[in-house]
Amino acid sequence: MIEVKNIHKSFGDTKVLKGVNLVVKEGQTVALIGSSGSGKSTLLRCINLLEMPDEGTVSIGDFAFDAKGINRKIRQETRRRTAMVFQGFYLFENKTALGNVTEALLVVQKKPKPEAIEIGLACLKKVGMLDKKDHYPTALSGGQKQRVAIARAFALSPKIILFDEPTSALDPELVQEVLNVIKKAAEEKVTMLIVTHEMNFARDVADKIAFMDDGRILETADSKDFFLSPKHEQTKQFLALYGMPTTFRRRFSMI
Amino acid sequence: MGKIFDVQFMFDSIPSILTGIPKSLAIALFAFTLGIFIGFIGAISKIYRIPVLERITTVYVSFIRGTPLLVQILLIYYGIPIIVRIINQKFGTQFDLSRIPAIVFMFAAFSLNAGAYLTETIRSAIQAVDKGQTEAAYSVGMTPVQAMVRIVIPQALKVGLPNFANFFIGMLKDTSLAFVASVTEIMGQAKIIAGRASRFFEAYIVAAVIYWIICILFEQMMRKLEARLRKSEKGVSS
Repeated sequence: MIEVKNIHKSFGDTKVLKGVNLVVKEGQTVALIGSSGSGKSTLLRCINLLEMPDEGTVSIGDFAFDAKGINRKIRQETRRRTAMVFQGFYLFENKTALGNVTEALLVVQKKPKPEAIEIGLACLKKVGMLDKKDHYPTALSGGQKQRVAIARAFALSPKIILFDEPTSALDPELVQEVLNVIKKAAEEKVTMLIVTHEMNFARDVADKIAFMDDGRILETADSKDFFLSPKHEQTKQFLALYGMPTTFRRRFSMI
Repeated sequence: MGKIFDVQFMFDSIPSILTGIPKSLAIALFAFTLGIFIGFIGAISKIYRIPVLERITTVYVSFIRGTPLLVQILLIYYGIPIIVRIINQKFGTQFDLSRIPAIVFMFAAFSLNAGAYLTETIRSAIQAVDKGQTEAAYSVGMTPVQAMVRIVIPQALKVGLPNFANFFIGMLKDTSLAFVASVTEIMGQAKIIAGRASRFFEAYIVAAVIYWIICILFEQMMRKLEARLRKSEKGVSS
């Protein structure tokens, strides 16, 4: 289980996170939605310590840290328990697809090479990229890069995979292949926290939706309930912007 | 006497001018290697803003870039013996520099010079690598050193290679300045041969051609190396 408690984060005078609480249970897929600038990505980056939170605690399974006592060792330990999929893919440009997936297995987890390669090939197969294992990132499309990046995250067998808008940088026709891979992972009960603007995907794949607004999580609910009966006015407005079913309901009720 | 231009002398002088090549190459290679080392430390202290080192690096780079190499060579060549004599006098030590060959002073001068220029070259090469690469490396659990060595530096090397190669060629030619410290590299040899027969133009033509050929060979080597490093751009590893 991943538990985030009372996370605060400011950049200079701008308060980006104002006391965020969030629980992701093991095997759960949680979609984090909200308008741009609401702090979704920052929250993700505070969980794997790419940003240092100013206040609050995070526990990942049996490991926990407090924002006050972060040091090099805690950063390392935290990152070893998490994996991240970035909006901009960030595949290691100097490594092949397989090299990207095996790199951390070899140098971080210190697995023997044959084992790392075995895991790497299995993970590439899972995302349908086995035939491109010897390709460098420059020879891959955006969707293919992101699938390799997801394989890289799978390979680490982390407690949680953090997705930071995994499809936002993709051409529309490439979005689905990435979403399908994530959907399959959700069915296999991989624990995931996904920042996304794909509302239909969130509704269909996530177990739970968390809506973020102005540095706080305003509303959390099971995905079905969330879209059908949003509680807060901000949530309703946000969903209306995306033309989600809640607006249809209201239209029908008016007839 | 009588000939305005002595072709025979020119060809005769080739073998003895060639004997200067090892010294020229030694200075260039030594200075480049040590310069990469100094430059890497300088670049890291600038990128990570390491308190005292950053300040020292800034002054060092500014001084080296703001003074002619020839002046730096002379400062080292005449300065170090004086400093050593002062030290000997102050502390009663017995360091004797007279047995140290002049080329060692050139190693020092050229290394310091290379270090300053390479600080900037290496810094810009490292910073040309997308920050996302480092973040991705951190996100999979790598330490800052692992991320630097395994992910950033290989990519920076590819970006910076043309600049490194250019700098090396420039420095190889600059080693000709070592003759002012009576080091018998290519230019020093040419000067000696030329002086004996008062045939300067002939000897310097030979020197020029030798430098040129070395640079052409080196450029070809670099082209091959670059092609190898760029294999990741072809897309598929064999």
